Amino acid sequence: MIKEKSAVLPVNEFNQPDKGVSLTLDAWRRLKKNHMAMAGLVLVIFFILISVLAPVLPIYSYTEQVIDHQYLPPSLTKNAGQLYYERTLGQMNALAEKEKRDLNQEELAALEQIKYRIANETAVINGKEVKVHERRYLFGTDYLGRDMLARVIYGGQISIAIGFVGTITSVLIGIVLGAIAGYLGGKVDYIIMRIVDVIYGLPYMMLVIIFMAIFGRNIINLFVALAVVSWLTVARVVRGQIMSLKNSEFVEAARSSGASTTRIIFRHLLPNTLGVIIVFSTLRIPTFIMLEAFLSFLGLGISAPLASWGSLVGHAVDGMNLYPWRLFFPAAAMTLFLFGMNFLGDGLRDAFDPQGKNKF
Amino acid sequence: MSTALLEVKNLKMHFPIEEGLLFKKQVGAIRAIDGISFEIKAGETLGLVGESGCGKSTTARTIAQLYKATEGEIIFNGRDLASLDSRELLSERKNIQMVFQDPYASLNPRMTVTEIIAEPLIIFKNRGLMTISKKEITERAEFLMEKVGLSSFFRNRYPHEFSGGQRQRIGIARALALNPKLILADEPVSALDVSIQAQILNLLADLQSEYNLTYLFIAHDLAVIEYISTRVAVMYLGKIVEVSSSKVIYKKPLHPYTEALLSAAPIPDPEIEKKRKRIVLSGDVPSPDRARTGCYFYDRCPKKMEICKNNIPELTETGEGHHVACFLYFSP
Repeated sequence: MIKEKSAVLPVNEFNQPDKGVSLTLDAWRRLKKNHMAMAGLVLVIFFILISVLAPVLPIYSYTEQVIDHQYLPPSLTKNAGQLYYERTLGQMNALAEKEKRDLNQEELAALEQIKYRIANETAVINGKEVKVHERRYLFGTDYLGRDMLARVIYGGQISIAIGFVGTITSVLIGIVLGAIAGYLGGKVDYIIMRIVDVIYGLPYMMLVIIFMAIFGRNIINLFVALAVVSWLTVARVVRGQIMSLKNSEFVEAARSSGASTTRIIFRHLLPNTLGVIIVFSTLRIPTFIMLEAFLSFLGLGISAPLASWGSLVGHAVDGMNLYPWRLFFPAAAMTLFLFGMNFLGDGLRDAFDPQGKNKF
Repeated sequence: MSTALLEVKNLKMHFPIEEGLLFKKQVGAIRAIDGISFEIKAGETLGLVGESGCGKSTTARTIAQLYKATEGEIIFNGRDLASLDSRELLSERKNIQMVFQDPYASLNPRMTVTEIIAEPLIIFKNRGLMTISKKEITERAEFLMEKVGLSSFFRNRYPHEFSGGQRQRIGIARALALNPKLILADEPVSALDVSIQAQILNLLADLQSEYNLTYLFIAHDLAVIEYISTRVAVMYLGKIVEVSSSKVIYKKPLHPYTEALLSAAPIPDPEIEKKRKRIVLSGDVPSPDRARTGCYFYDRCPKKMEICKNNIPELTETGEGHHVACFLYFSP
């Protein structure tokens, strides 16, 4: 029995083609051992999933205004009607106490009417008739009675999109120009790098603000403006990498067998700078989100009714003491995402550069 | 006398030294190769020796057209490579392949072995110079792996999963992919352990007899050169000082530099090693950044004469197939 079985099994590992372990696979294995980075990765994936799935999630519309529900605090147990009633009652009590009296007839009648409305009022939302006061706001509402949960999720969608699209655009521009400068060298290199130096010297925030002011505030312009000022570092990094690789023997080997410049750059040089580029991009995404937040905070970013984490925080600052939840939730969402992204980036750097000195 | 496969005539490779920011001015040149001529006959191995920085590797790279020669002709198969247009040059590259020194740097770490070996084939296919199917390319790569002594089961591995000797075999397989006539081996064994060196040398010798290859074999290890070469050329400061068959040159070196070079090689026998007389040259190799009017070896030559100061000795035949550039053996 045993003999038969061993005849079926491979004799040793050399009688069948074995799978190679690429450097990328190797890096992934190292990354998997890094708990902080994996936690970051899970967090990032969670955020991305939520943003992508936002239209099908059971959340309210982020534009739907319910004027009665202004500034409702977050609550897990009470629905909007209860909170609305409590708040009105509280306001009336406070007024009565100030005037040193009990609630008068008029106020009691108003309360009765609110009770009646809470029990019976309906509204048509998305073609469906719903009891509007039975809504629940886990994250509270803003100054127009819009659901903060929905706004944080849709805001995250835009913030994350800006982070990724901005990074991808800037990395693409940077890779192409950096690779050309680094590989061709000479005058081309000189001209490209001097342009980079000049743009570096300008205050980039001002460039973005001027760009947005000239071309108008919309989301595409925001992408373009951010990409235009942020490819510089990528170009420098890629150029340095390419310069250090272009005289290596494997490139000479390719040249001596007649490989074209394009093939050398895209098949030999860029794959070998990929690790650096990936790490750089991951650490770049948080910067973009912060930049967008900063612009939105200044009122130059996203315009209503769209929201981003930055614009939500910006609007929330006004009533920070009275309605802290409006500030807390978008800020917390943004912080968590940036945490995740940074841990992931650090982990990737360690994974791609196992000999690196900058470990935890 | 069989015809020469490769003939190099008065080849010069000067690397410019430039100054200035945007508008560069050439202020001088590193004369890496300063007028060398030699020929390699089909099927033979020409060993090229010399100390570091004498222009050995530059010679190989210039022949492979990785550098554009400053002056001179590189006649391969009756055609001057330096004057070919890029299309003709590409088809000629098929016959000239290189094996590199550093087995760690000469393989792209992000490609599998199959991709590395098949790369020349893929390039020629993409450029329309070769009709070969994907399957044939894979088969050829596997065949070559077996040929150089690697199991084709390793075809999906990456270079970092191999040892130095195995990597050098991959490099050789890549050089063989296009069925070349001439292989420029740029110190193919100097980065390897001595035991592995022997294996690689034997592999190269076997491949040579099987495929009738011609080698230009560069090394600084004299024993390696003696083992593999049919003829030996000795270089000093961008010039060839002596060319002869390897049997003759090791027994009876003529040029003072060759004598000094050979006397520096240790002999693996303690008795003889003790009696060995070394010719120790004074000074360092001068910088190759200026034009010379006298013998290139004049500064350090133990046998220098008045005539050497202002006359450059040309490579001249003194015996059968023995060329030397020294006024001790002829007068200008």
